[in-house]
Amino acid sequence: MDAAQLLLWPLLACIAIAGIHAYLGFHVVQRGVIFVDLALAQVAALGATLGFLLGHDLHSPAAAWFSIGSVVVGAALLALLKAEKRRIPQEAFIGIVYAVAAAGAILIVDRTPEGAEHIKFMFVGNLLAASAAEVGWLAVLYAAIGALHVAWRKPFFAISHGETEGMSRAAVRFWDFLFYLTFGLVVTQSVAVAGVLLVFSYLIVPSVIAMLLADGARARLAIGWITGVVVSVAGMLASYHFDLPTGAAVVTTFGVALAAVLAYRGVVAR
Amino acid sequence: MIRTMRRLALWASVVVLALKPGDASAAKQLLVVTTTQDLGAIATEIAGDRARVETLSKGYQDPHFVDAKPSLLVKLRKADLFVEVGRDLEVGWIPGLLQSARNPRIQSGGPGFVDASTGIAILEQGAKVGREEGDVHPLGNPHHWLDPKNGLVIAANIRDGLARVAPADKAYFDTRYADFERRLRERMAGWKKDAESMGLTGLKVVTYHRSWPYFADAFGLQVVNYVEPRPGVPPAPRHIQELTEQMKSEKIPLLIVEPYFDPKLPARVAQNSGAALVILPPSVGATPEAKDYFSLFDAQLAAIRKALAGRRTP
Repeated sequence: MDAAQLLLWPLLACIAIAGIHAYLGFHVVQRGVIFVDLALAQVAALGATLGFLLGHDLHSPAAAWFSIGSVVVGAALLALLKAEKRRIPQEAFIGIVYAVAAAGAILIVDRTPEGAEHIKFMFVGNLLAASAAEVGWLAVLYAAIGALHVAWRKPFFAISHGETEGMSRAAVRFWDFLFYLTFGLVVTQSVAVAGVLLVFSYLIVPSVIAMLLADGARARLAIGWITGVVVSVAGMLASYHFDLPTGAAVVTTFGVALAAVLAYRGVVAR
Repeated sequence: MIRTMRRLALWASVVVLALKPGDASAAKQLLVVTTTQDLGAIATEIAGDRARVETLSKGYQDPHFVDAKPSLLVKLRKADLFVEVGRDLEVGWIPGLLQSARNPRIQSGGPGFVDASTGIAILEQGAKVGREEGDVHPLGNPHHWLDPKNGLVIAANIRDGLARVAPADKAYFDTRYADFERRLRERMAGWKKDAESMGLTGLKVVTYHRSWPYFADAFGLQVVNYVEPRPGVPPAPRHIQELTEQMKSEKIPLLIVEPYFDPKLPARVAQNSGAALVILPPSVGATPEAKDYFSLFDAQLAAIRKALAGRRTP
């Protein structure tokens, strides 16, 4: 039972992450804000770094509040900056938020005695070390945010599909703020467990594969979830069998899955 | 949904078990797991044929950051004795892995848990942050194995741990320790002579990071500055300028760099200031020459000798 015990919680963590990210990725790809997760994760790290400078340990509740507070600010910023979308693509602002937040963290760290190592830990994630408590917390948080998204699905989907005719500018901004806020809370928690690379893959690859294979939101969501779960299992098995770093193994498996789907499309399209 | 998840996990574990290579565990031998190859080398000296020693990282890896592979968890799960460098060196990856391994023998405080830094005179302890102090960790500098006299303390800690998990073999471990101590003391005298003959006593050096205070203590070097005072934060241009000036005016002959950093910037500083750049293995296994705890110091002193000689005859 050694291997099963070993991989059970990391695998469940992956499946929980796949559950919410495949769904959120659908919105993110539709809206064309691919790198928004990196930007918000970096903003959260900036907040935690600021807390660190003020003497709060990175894993203390106080530091968590600093992260959440900065995610609120980041979400507001992204919602406001969307107003300029006609002139400047939103991805440009997202890239700027990412770069400035990352640089800001370096400047802050330069003032602290312990250096950047602690900040790096926030992005590495340690999937293999995922514990029952962590997976439980992720499941509760994701379920709560998933429920909010079900309740608010109309405005969220309308904005993602660009159907905002009936909405006032203030309403669009308000719903955008809520979207980025819930999104930021999910992403910062997932990144702490699984690391930036893995979270990005869970967000984008299932939606892209789903878009290649199907039309319609329901079918795409189903394909996204199946992809996420299958790739998690396959990546974990590869990691165990060939003794590879687990996170990187799963990310690479995502790449292989996408390549397989593209090849399949190429064959079928002929 | 939960049932599906359970079923998937179960299915995954079945496949994993099917794929798993057969257990080749031989006779009843202890398994000692260490975080670094330095600790592994010392553990091998003490444990002899009573234990198999496995290490979780390689000497060429930065011990602050190690990518967790499933095999690490498997090793921790089966371990009878676990040895860490301590002082938070492995804080980024070990606590989570220890927890996941759920092996009560080697949890912190368990009989099979050894903090190698116990009883060592730790340098740079306490968070006194001054202008000159860059990265000062509250628990002190963790690179303690780089002074051979601390190797004796580490060996004694491992000996005591082994005696706790295999009391029947206590006499055997005592003998092995006594032999290791005798050999190490002999070599220490030789290294000291070597260092003196090279003129290391009181020699001012600059190091990339704060990895070398114990090494400097052991061989009389005086570390006067660092290329990157804060780990992970690229040094400010003014710091590099001041450092180069200082090295020129104080005629500092040696700049020591760890092999896992990009040597481009230190190489330029060395060139501009006329110092010799030397890439020193900070751990067993970091370079092919550093095969065990003894050849580690041989390799370091040889590299310094070569660098200094190259500088004197340009």
